[in-house]
Amino acid sequence: MTELATVDAVTLDGTPVVRVSGEIDLSNAADVMEAIAATLPTNATTVVVDLSDTGYVDSAGIAMLFRLAERLGHGRQQLHLVVPTGAPIRRVLELTNLTSVIPVHDTLRAT
Amino acid sequence: MMGQALVRAGSPDPGSRRRPGHQVLALVLVAAAYYLGAQLGLSLSLVDHNVTPLWPPTGIAVTAFLLLGRNMWPGVAVAALAVNLPITATPLAAAATAAGNTLAPYVAALLLERVGFRRQLDRQRDALAIVFLGALASMLISATTGTATLAVSGAISSGELPGAWAVWWTGDAMGVLAVAPFLLCLPLFWELEPWPTARWVEAVALLVLVTAVSAWAARSEAQVLFLVLPVLGWAAWRLQLRGAAPAALIASLVATSSATNGSGPFAAESLAQRMLTLQGFNACVAVTSFFLAALVSERLRTADALAAAATERVRREHQIAETLQRSLLPDRLPQVPGVDLAARYVPATADVEVGGDWYDVISLPDGRLGLTIGDVAGHGLLAATSMGQLRMAVRAYVLQDPAPQAVLAGLERLVTQLPMPEMATLLYLLFDPDTGSVRYANAGHLPPVLVADGQSTFLTDALVPPLGVTTGTTFLEASLTLQPGATLVLYTDGLVERRRVSLQDGLDRLGREALADVGVDALCDLLLHTLSGPEPAADDIALLVVRMIPLTGTPLALALPAEARNLQEMRRAVHRWLRDSGIADDDRNDVLIACGEACANAVRHAYPVRPGVMELEARLSQETVSITVRDHGRWRTPVHRGGGWGLQLMRGLMDSVELVTTDAGTEVTMLRRVTAGGIG
Repeated sequence: MTELATVDAVTLDGTPVVRVSGEIDLSNAADVMEAIAATLPTNATTVVVDLSDTGYVDSAGIAMLFRLAERLGHGRQQLHLVVPTGAPIRRVLELTNLTSVIPVHDTLRAT
Repeated sequence: MMGQALVRAGSPDPGSRRRPGHQVLALVLVAAAYYLGAQLGLSLSLVDHNVTPLWPPTGIAVTAFLLLGRNMWPGVAVAALAVNLPITATPLAAAATAAGNTLAPYVAALLLERVGFRRQLDRQRDALAIVFLGALASMLISATTGTATLAVSGAISSGELPGAWAVWWTGDAMGVLAVAPFLLCLPLFWELEPWPTARWVEAVALLVLVTAVSAWAARSEAQVLFLVLPVLGWAAWRLQLRGAAPAALIASLVATSSATNGSGPFAAESLAQRMLTLQGFNACVAVTSFFLAALVSERLRTADALAAAATERVRREHQIAETLQRSLLPDRLPQVPGVDLAARYVPATADVEVGGDWYDVISLPDGRLGLTIGDVAGHGLLAATSMGQLRMAVRAYVLQDPAPQAVLAGLERLVTQLPMPEMATLLYLLFDPDTGSVRYANAGHLPPVLVADGQSTFLTDALVPPLGVTTGTTFLEASLTLQPGATLVLYTDGLVERRRVSLQDGLDRLGREALADVGVDALCDLLLHTLSGPEPAADDIALLVVRMIPLTGTPLALALPAEARNLQEMRRAVHRWLRDSGIADDDRNDVLIACGEACANAVRHAYPVRPGVMELEARLSQETVSITVRDHGRWRTPVHRGGGWGLQLMRGLMDSVELVTTDAGTEVTMLRRVTAGGIG
């Protein structure tokens, strides 16, 4: 997809997991969202977006994650994020209060 | 009929717009000219006032009608009456003759206008028109009217009628042929391109020569009148109508005058023979001069048109190729902190061709740079398009696997399938700005120059034959480390190859000049200036200079088009600067995100209509990083609302954030205390 980030999907114990590697900014946020949405099945109640390998997320990326959670909520799907403690993007999630709206986990196992 | 009416309405009589005073003056002048022309004609009579072989007034009248309009006819009629009254038996006969003399040139002008006659006499059809319609056909009217009047008034017997008619007809026709072109050529002296002095000298010489030759031939007992013709040919060939018409008039006047005196070739002959010789000569003079002049004019016009078309074609091809070439070169070089880059492309100016030279700088996602310079052999559009294909191929291969050997091997496979007429040389370097490491491979290109520690070295390693020469080449790779301050100069052969100077001399000079202690842009200009010298470049020149500069302690300044796709490049530059400045990891991340948000705001809000630039400055002093992000646009929404999450993040991550919006743009200044001194 974009040069800046790659998106790949796996299923872990029946839960769909989308891993985003690279950086999410104004230039590719919309593309990344489409790529994530395209890989997600509509029948799962819980979906995980793994941002462990995402080195940078800006406010456009945060807005994208809010929209994604909202969109999934319409289909009664719950979005979970994986962001390791101490990851550079963790502060961005906290400063924008994203952590209070979307469950964020340290590791994939914790979901 | 409608069409004719329209044509006539569209091209009004030239005389109809003249003011009344001018009209009267023109009539008087035409009448006077006609009268004087008639006196000249009478002086050229062969027998008293009866047989006039050249009747200039007809030529004057035709010219007056063509130039001033056919409404000049009263002037001609009055003058014709004045001329004929003293030499005609009765006033009635004089009036009839004058009517014929007026009607004939009137009809001549009418016919010529109808067939689209150009008074410049620069097409063969104009020469044909004036000979057949203007002279021979129209003058049937005056000859028939005049001789019929003579016969009716009893001045000549019916037996003399055919001879008198023939003399009258040829005299009037010759008047048109000799005089009208001469008078018509006069306006051309200020209408056409003026003659240079040399042309005037030639014209005067020609007229002197034609006078001398015709005077001698017309007085010599030998039958050598034909000698005048080559001179007329010369006049027509070199000067067209402006030379041919005066020369023809002189020749005709001299010959006619000689026939009048019965001298030279006309001495021993009867009246009829004299008349025949003279009119034959005059006809030859007129036809030769005007047809040749018209033919040459036509050919010159065609040659001019062809030359202009050819020049235009060459110019257009060059323009297309150059536009293509420029569009294929990078529109800007990436901004990498700690690396100075400069490049030049100079198209060849000695000929109008363009070459297949190019350079490129490719930013890899991991921050490394792919640098290429190359030259597709040959010139013109084909070389430029092949170059464009190669350049894109390099980009594609570099993104796939940036290792030098892999890139060149991929290109070699591709080149065998491209419609490339000839070979291409290419030098590729993979450069890591973080470490200064350079890996390179060279397919037949001139070796790059490394300038370090006051010494120039040509990097001649890893050299294999050019692409497209052989297949199955084993590409080599060499490497080096660029120390801070070291410079690499990449160039194409146009820079070092000069006429009369050996390649080795050119390379030696490059090695010396590259040592200059100046910035990279100045170095490019210096090399172009000193190596190409004053003479225009015979071949294209592409030049790319890379220099590692020590970052520590220096502020960072960036300016990039405010587009989302440039945010990554900006972040990478800031990241490297923060790291090289020894800012701790956590601080570095926070500052980086704040910079990203400030720039994203400029991208989103500053330039709703026209594209613009975002500028970023970063400095470190007393353990405080200060960042300034500036744009020169007008935000669609007020700053405090347009900021949104971006502003929230910036305020959360930095110690202070200040936004100032003026008519000149928006400036964000952010401060952050950092832990400095650590090496990241």
